[in-house]
Amino acid sequence: MSYDSKTVKLLQYGILIFFAILMFFPIFWIFSNSLKTLNGVSEFPPQIFPSEPQWQNYIEVIRKSNALEYLKNSMILIVGNTIGTLLSSSIVAYPLARMEFKGKGVVFGMILATMMVPTVTLVIPQFLLFRTFGWLDSFLPMIVPSFFAYPYNVFLFRQFFKTIPKSIDESAMLDGCSRMQVFTKVIAPLAKPIFITVGVLSTIFWWNELFQPLIFIDSENLKPLTLGALNAFKIEGGQNQTAWNMQMAFAMIMAIPPMILYMFASKHLVTGIKTSGMKD
Amino acid sequence: MGKIFKGKREKKRQSFKDALTAYGFLSPWIIGFIFFTGGPILLSFILSLTRWNLLGQPRFVGFENYQQLLSGSSDFLNTLKITFLFTLLNVFVTVSASLFLAVLLNFKVRFIGIFQFFYFVPAVMPSVVMTSCFILMFNNQLGIVNYFLSTLGIIGPNWLGNANLVWVVVGIASVFTFSTGQMMLIFNSSLKEVPIELYEAAHLDGANAWHRFKNVTLPSISPILLFNTVVATVNSFNGAFTLLFPLTGGGPGNATKVLSLLIYEKAFKQFDMGTASTLAFIMFIIVAFISILQFKLSDDKVNYG
Repeated sequence: MSYDSKTVKLLQYGILIFFAILMFFPIFWIFSNSLKTLNGVSEFPPQIFPSEPQWQNYIEVIRKSNALEYLKNSMILIVGNTIGTLLSSSIVAYPLARMEFKGKGVVFGMILATMMVPTVTLVIPQFLLFRTFGWLDSFLPMIVPSFFAYPYNVFLFRQFFKTIPKSIDESAMLDGCSRMQVFTKVIAPLAKPIFITVGVLSTIFWWNELFQPLIFIDSENLKPLTLGALNAFKIEGGQNQTAWNMQMAFAMIMAIPPMILYMFASKHLVTGIKTSGMKD
Repeated sequence: MGKIFKGKREKKRQSFKDALTAYGFLSPWIIGFIFFTGGPILLSFILSLTRWNLLGQPRFVGFENYQQLLSGSSDFLNTLKITFLFTLLNVFVTVSASLFLAVLLNFKVRFIGIFQFFYFVPAVMPSVVMTSCFILMFNNQLGIVNYFLSTLGIIGPNWLGNANLVWVVVGIASVFTFSTGQMMLIFNSSLKEVPIELYEAAHLDGANAWHRFKNVTLPSISPILLFNTVVATVNSFNGAFTLLFPLTGGGPGNATKVLSLLIYEKAFKQFDMGTASTLAFIMFIIVAFISILQFKLSDDKVNYG
């Protein structure tokens, strides 16, 4: 019974493949159904892959819905939030990781505590606040807060910054750098993996986010993709029945960007997350 | 903290300057805290003492909203029960799924990157995408799940129309949430930090895979496990809406109407800001209580400082 014996390896591959299929099946099923005709979707037994793929479903979805408009709005939310949180969260994390000052423990404790506060408990007062600003039905209520640091991202940045040797700061300051210069010229370039990680996580979050747009956005031309996907595709002339093939084509369009993003960023995702500082 | 403050006057001046710089760096968070977190929590509490439909002025009613919610006629306690049920299910499913998949990703075999793709990508799919797929898969007449059951001679139930079976769908859908992917990353990197010697020693002692997991892996990552459980709890309160609103809409009936769905309905459908704020404030208290509890439990095991 060797640790690396062939049967063990084979078993491991078997388990890995089994769960890969299980995890990926829903996405495959979306793809498969997006290429069926409406009758094809309800066919019994279901075809695992349609014999005559209906690629024109995609063209129809893009033409009939406001898909491109929704996409543009999702992109605005993603870019705005990602820039905002990368700038603000990294700046806030710097002193927490690399400086000693009075009240540091209290501030970090509060940041950890606010990490726990669910959005839904804050949304009513925020709604009222943004209403007095006249910001409702615009992107501002969703983008501006990101420039004031999200606690979870601050935490991730801090964990990473702590792994960089402190002597680097000291020698840079002896060379006449201010703290801000140390941060922008020395630490930030060394911390590229965590900037990518947080950027990717923020992108995924806003590609997925439904709650805040639902509350803050009213106009059709400002809706992101998540809201668009809620307006189910109905069969023309049917009694409020869902056109599942169209719905799935729309879902597939939403599923592709996270896959591409993952392929580009996967290398950095794992190196960016540092858990070592959390252990004794 | 504060140890560096003993020392000479020169040192004291330097540390004051350092503190000033530090708080300069922290200022975005401080402003954000006042306007988007701390302030709103306070305002939530104030609004919970009023009755207001967004028009005119809020009317002060004291603790009437709280009394009303806790009186026998309201279904608030039922909502609380459903919220706890969802949170338990969601946390259990996401933590165990992410840990399990992370363990698989630490197999010492080739092509692990490809498997990571297949495990991670479904977790980062938007909830509206996955939920629309599950609604189709579990559809009474069209769904592939009921087709499989029919080949086994079982007549498939109406999953989403049954107050008990709907939880099966909610549980499965929970696997495919952002929470799972996020925790998978954290577990994955923490598993890589478990000293390999420990495994080798356990292997020499003749421990099988399950024993190695139980006696070596779990104790080594227990701080991370606790941390992730806290994160999963928060994610579950946050993600409940994004998952359940498109999947069940709180239905069938009120079977899956968790607090966040009720708050949304009260505030933005019925414009009952007083009741909605009361619910939000109660939810805040519950979450705060759970977090404190979890951190107290993990205090001696996890070191954040």
